[in-house]
Amino acid sequence: MTVTFSAPRLETERLILRAPEIGDQDVHAAFFMSERAKFVGGPTTAERAWRLLALEVGHWVLRGFGRWALEEKATGKFVGIVGNYHPVGFPEDELGWDLFDGATGKGYATEAALAARAYAYDTLGWTTLTSMIDPANTASAAVATRLGAAYDYDFTHEHFGPVQIWRHPGPDTAQRPTYYRSLP
Amino acid sequence: MIEPIGHTTLQIPTFRLDDLTLRAPAMSDLDAYAEFRASDRAKGVGGPNTRVQAEQKLEALIGHWHLHGFGRWMVTETHSDTPLGVVGLMAPCDWPEPEIAWSVFAGAEGKSVAYRAAIFARRYAYEVLGWSTVISCTTPDNHRSQALAQRMGATRDGECHVDDVGRLLIWRHLSAEAV
Repeated sequence: MTVTFSAPRLETERLILRAPEIGDQDVHAAFFMSERAKFVGGPTTAERAWRLLALEVGHWVLRGFGRWALEEKATGKFVGIVGNYHPVGFPEDELGWDLFDGATGKGYATEAALAARAYAYDTLGWTTLTSMIDPANTASAAVATRLGAAYDYDFTHEHFGPVQIWRHPGPDTAQRPTYYRSLP
Repeated sequence: MIEPIGHTTLQIPTFRLDDLTLRAPAMSDLDAYAEFRASDRAKGVGGPNTRVQAEQKLEALIGHWHLHGFGRWMVTETHSDTPLGVVGLMAPCDWPEPEIAWSVFAGAEGKSVAYRAAIFARRYAYEVLGWSTVISCTTPDNHRSQALAQRMGATRDGECHVDDVGRLLIWRHLSAEAV
């Protein structure tokens, strides 16, 4: 007897959204061990970076949804993590995005988040979504604004401290991605 | 509706050792696991931890199976599915080599849970995964764990240091040939 889980693979115009793999470890650790991870719990140790990658998979298994590794179609490179998340300590269902060095400024977070949000609303049947954003993380707030989300309330996370909760437009009004797949 | 172009699948095998079952960690284990992780019993394994951290570690137990192809099971009482401990094979990033690891929750001691599950994990490593050797690591002051390693026939083989736990004694188990 086995326990089986399955994470869907999604495609957008420039990205593949897929489950994290062991080959992602070095790029993932480089981000979470760097200053750039200061808004998402870093910088951290190699051991904890490993756990942060492994737990993305476990979240899919425990909760039936989770975050995807983003693969840039043009290069095959692992460029970030985006998806639907609700760990212990988060007040509501969350749409989260982390973009690694060299992958920012291209609209990848927005492109992937549109697909993840469509998946949450249209496949999982969710009725609302939030994003937790560090007040100093203006780049992340800009992504949220592009997605049509707006600041809703303040929250104190046990480990991250004071954060803002932004709320996305609901299933009826949220923008959907215009491009889903190139494969027949 | 967004249509997947494929799926990634993970399978974690379940085994039954009479009154003990070794299965994939599940959401229903979170309370028992968080209680263990919050207690002094977790001192030798990177704890004590908050519930937020305990959930992350529970998820990472599962993720380990996907990333590395082997991992640790939740050991439960077969008839009730009550979680008793976490036992299996692990080798996260800074580990010197793959090890058999065991943690037993409060109230589950004295039933040879760790010993029986660890013997099974050793067999799984050798017979299913085809390994020829395997270690276990214990903190220097975890005498109960050291006694278990010795009871399994393991002997001291150096030390190592890992970020989360600090200094660890390495115990080398009987080889695949010697078992």
